[in-house]
Amino acid sequence: MWLAHGVGGRQDLPIPFGLALTGALVALVVSFVALGALWREPRLGTGTEPPRPLPAPVQRVASARAWPWLCRLVGLVVAAYVGLGFAGPDTADNPTAGVVYVLFWVGLLPLSLLFGPVWRALNPLRTLHLLACLALRRDPSRGLRDLPSGLGYWPAAGGLFAFVWLELVAPHRVSLPVIGGWLGGYAVAMLAGAVVYGSRWFDRGDAFEVYSAVVGRLAVLARRRDGTLVRRHPLDGIAGLRPAPGLVAFVVVLLGSTMYDSLSNAPIWVRVLQSGAAPAPLLGTIGLALVCALVLAAYLGATGLAGRFGGRPVRECAGELAHSIVPIAVGYLVAHYFTLFVLEGQRTLALLADPLGTGADWLGTGSWTVRALGTSPAGTALLQVTVIVLGHVFGTVLAHDRALRLFDRRTAVVGQLPLLALMVVYTTAGLLLLFAA
Amino acid sequence: MMPPHPRRPRSAYAAVALLALLLIGPTACGDGEPAATGTVETVTVTVAGGTVSPAPSRIEVTRGQTVRITATSDVADMVHVHGYDRSVTLQPGVAGTVEFVADRDGLFEVETHGQDLQLFQLVVR
Repeated sequence: MWLAHGVGGRQDLPIPFGLALTGALVALVVSFVALGALWREPRLGTGTEPPRPLPAPVQRVASARAWPWLCRLVGLVVAAYVGLGFAGPDTADNPTAGVVYVLFWVGLLPLSLLFGPVWRALNPLRTLHLLACLALRRDPSRGLRDLPSGLGYWPAAGGLFAFVWLELVAPHRVSLPVIGGWLGGYAVAMLAGAVVYGSRWFDRGDAFEVYSAVVGRLAVLARRRDGTLVRRHPLDGIAGLRPAPGLVAFVVVLLGSTMYDSLSNAPIWVRVLQSGAAPAPLLGTIGLALVCALVLAAYLGATGLAGRFGGRPVRECAGELAHSIVPIAVGYLVAHYFTLFVLEGQRTLALLADPLGTGADWLGTGSWTVRALGTSPAGTALLQVTVIVLGHVFGTVLAHDRALRLFDRRTAVVGQLPLLALMVVYTTAGLLLLFAA
Repeated sequence: MMPPHPRRPRSAYAAVALLALLLIGPTACGDGEPAATGTVETVTVTVAGGTVSPAPSRIEVTRGQTVRITATSDVADMVHVHGYDRSVTLQPGVAGTVEFVADRDGLFEVETHGQDLQLFQLVVR
């Protein structure tokens, strides 16, 4: 009977107005400083500062044959353990919702920021496909047909929208049948895609692998194509994210959905949802789609103007600049989910010790009580504004550098103006949502 | 081809980031110790025909303050205060009261769990 809660019992306080204003002003100043004082020739991703290999002993350890299989095994075992939760009672003490929304979805962000595309290594669906192919003596990379090049990231963008819809809109989204039904449907879709297109499907079609890979480009650690483990500048990593169909949609859904999550918390939106004008899930779906559409419209408008000012095709600009939105989205995700991850993460780990609700303590975490761990209101507000402004700084620098590459010398400055305006709008909107929603 | 560049001014954006921190830092540190007051914040909510009145809004209290929520519903329901995990069962047309000391800061939703309606948001500073 106790369905509609479990995740997010406590939410962050709105940030003080002065702090939001300061953040917006800093973002504005940074933008103009970037325009006037940053470098005049493109520097990112040009190989002028090649990634430096890590020391040989580290390389030897990291290149051990056992690692890929160890990761796959960990992915399978953790997935199987988490699956036990579906056999437990559907109460607030069931860990499944916390595992899916907090430990997995939010936790994927810090893991990817530290270690790169981790979900590719852990993904139990990829492993299941690999094992099935090994059993049938088939080449896992070969499917029934080739992956169409026009497909790009579109399946991943669709999968991401489906997941954020589950997380933010779906009725009874913390109940086991809803979570289980969604995950089951997703697993079937992913495995079917892999059967048709081979294992490369996961690289472009699996929303979580794409998310982890896109965000993981900001990691300092990376693997070179020959397998060498290197240390690189995060901006070089993200500048290497090349345009592909659906990439803009994916990044826009990432940013738009997080903004909708903030907005949906505002009393004014709660009143709309409960007004009875239409079923709440329908209104929620419209709201989520509308916020994503607004984020997209701003993006296409700004990159279109930039293209016109800079004398480059509008479509090309939209794809070439998509990477600069990633740090802004990441900053906003961190700001939005930091305390949830720290507080609900602890609670979920405690609940995970007893997934069947039998009073067991299999992980030894059952007696944990949730500790604040530095999540004071003042500290949290400061962190939120700082990461949003940092995301803005990264985004501005990336857009600046890409504009220098796209546009010629004369039009580079004027071509950047719409992009700077776009970033200031995104950042201010994010700060405003933290203040008001 | 681009001419080779000796070194990227890495310090430039490190400096910008630091500047951001320094500018933002002082404004966030104005919070003092919360003063626990003896007053009781009383909230009265009515649910009729699936509509909450007064309409959902934010109610701010100081940490340490006592909050007393009185709710009436035209159908059987249960009021639940998120985060504090306090709840009261409502019989149709009979007011139910839940009272607690708001000793944790944050924003907490107060909802009914039968009709899944948000009654208001409790802001504890």
